[in-house]
Amino acid sequence: MSHPVESGARRELGSPEAILRHDASVFDLRLRRDAAAGEVPDWEALCDRAAAVKAHGLDHLDRYLEEFERRATEAGAVVHWASDAAAFCATVGDLLEEHAVERVAKSKSMLTEECGLNPHLEERGIVVVDTDLGERIVQLEAEPPSHIIVPAIHRSRQEIGELFHRRMGTPRGETDPERLTRAARRDLRTRFLSAQAGITGVNFAVAETGSLVVVTNEGNADLGMSLPPLHIACLGIEKLIPRLDDLPTFLRLLARSATGQPISAYTSVVTGPRPGGELHIVLVDNGRSALLGDAAHRSALRCIRCGACLNTCPVYRRAGGHAYPGPIPGPIGSVLGPAMHEKGASLPHASTLCGSCTAVCPVRIDLHDQLLAWRREGSPPRGFEALLARLAGFVMARPRLYRMAGALARVVWPALRVRFPGNPAHGWLAARELPRHPGASFSARWARERGAGE
Amino acid sequence: MSDREAILQRVRGAVRHEVDHPGAHPAPSLAGGFERFATRLRGVGGEAHGPVPSWQVGEVVTGVVNLRAEGGRVFAAESASEVLGPGVWVVPPADLAPIGFEDVAVAILRGTIGVAENGAVALEGRHAPQRSLPFLCRHLILLLPSTGIHPDLHSAQAALPADALDHHHLTWISGPSKTADIEQTLVYGAHGPLTLDLIAYTPA
Repeated sequence: MSHPVESGARRELGSPEAILRHDASVFDLRLRRDAAAGEVPDWEALCDRAAAVKAHGLDHLDRYLEEFERRATEAGAVVHWASDAAAFCATVGDLLEEHAVERVAKSKSMLTEECGLNPHLEERGIVVVDTDLGERIVQLEAEPPSHIIVPAIHRSRQEIGELFHRRMGTPRGETDPERLTRAARRDLRTRFLSAQAGITGVNFAVAETGSLVVVTNEGNADLGMSLPPLHIACLGIEKLIPRLDDLPTFLRLLARSATGQPISAYTSVVTGPRPGGELHIVLVDNGRSALLGDAAHRSALRCIRCGACLNTCPVYRRAGGHAYPGPIPGPIGSVLGPAMHEKGASLPHASTLCGSCTAVCPVRIDLHDQLLAWRREGSPPRGFEALLARLAGFVMARPRLYRMAGALARVVWPALRVRFPGNPAHGWLAARELPRHPGASFSARWARERGAGE
Repeated sequence: MSDREAILQRVRGAVRHEVDHPGAHPAPSLAGGFERFATRLRGVGGEAHGPVPSWQVGEVVTGVVNLRAEGGRVFAAESASEVLGPGVWVVPPADLAPIGFEDVAVAILRGTIGVAENGAVALEGRHAPQRSLPFLCRHLILLLPSTGIHPDLHSAQAALPADALDHHHLTWISGPSKTADIEQTLVYGAHGPLTLDLIAYTPA
């Protein structure tokens, strides 16, 4: 039986060419990240500091939540609290209905993906337009984003050209990214101008000042915040940072880790509503407080959603984001998955445990150790797998039996490489080839090499 | 129990109040100065001019406006016009609705602090009372006193006036609007300005 991520990968990315293109695009982001991090002399110390600030903030989250609420309210914002996805969707939907809003311009927010906000609002007859270009592409394709920073990274320019031809009237066969981007700009500009409310995510919220920090490259969040009179900000409770003084530490890490930029084009620190406008902030728990109480897995809440772990992950790069059940793909999605949604239980197995994710994480989340920890806590193997595991344990505990088993394996190994129904390795061989056997055991080679050396 | 109380109660049950705040990150020893800033700004798609003496700012901005405006409307926020003096720009009427800036060709605003490590400029709310103007315009010109350039973001933020957050928004702007959402191809002018020109000046 194949893992959900494995079958998902085969279903979603499809052709070998599409997989190679996806792999190359994603790894290009990783290389840009490396170059950008290399230019910052205090990078490692900066990561240490960011991790420590987050660890402190999470360990005092009760105080910082109350401080944030107090400061934001003093600045004129209205703060709402939502225990779960349903309460969050209802709060936002009710706010929009109270303001008689029919058209919303929304900028990127993984929290709204997680909570299913768009379908909820559409059910209530509200038109939600995702305004980040990548988000707009996946919205028009009626599919979820496949990457938390580059939502349509799985789509080729030909596919996007065809989509825009159908939905925005661009010339058939137009695949030039600049002309396609211009078409989307024109189309979305009219939607911005007629929007009655703007919904944004939040990258950081500063407890000390009650400020929201919203980061984009396109400027779409700023248009959403500045044109309609009503701004609703969706904020996971783990996004709080204690002080304004902590902000540069995170901003210096975020864009460099995500895309290799020294900083994103627009970083807006918003405190209270703009004159004549309204600002509503919805603080969302949806499982975060439970994760906070789990000392073994709490570190995952430090995540600043830079996507660096996705870009370096050999599984994500070849499987694509849609292969992962749940809103967030890649290593961080697999670490959050078991805690956040029921389909996430098997996600920690979709990893090679190579540790590359841990190496690039700017807030020092021990991602591959987390994956291993979830595996240990998960349900023990059953059936044939359990039998194999018990057998392996029995053999490995007995050196002589182990050596005999090794000798036997070298005899039957070539047969295992052949695909035939009933071959216990069949499931594996469907997607890969067994490596060639070295021909002799390590002990035998060791004895021989050492003998040759003396 | 309200959602607020329920969440706070769960969070209180989860935290220990044991982990100390590590303190401020010490500012790194990075190179500052206009040249480094200008190089960075070019790297993020912007163009830096100057530094010029303050009496020359109007002349330099006029040159850039002539290049960019193509006959369209040119607005200078009030605090920018104070630096510029009279010219081909007009100060927008105070009662213009946010969508009223839709067809603005060039907007000129005053930045306060520049960051050499990332080419970003702080646009404070007080200098951008028309919040939508720098995002709806096709081309953005920012004025920046050359004395306001700091090597890194830590020292840059620390140099902001104490009331920098008191005017609703503070935006760090680094180059023009951009996207790479279609096959990682960088395109300027995703939603906001297609170009960003920065004119650094030596304050009188």
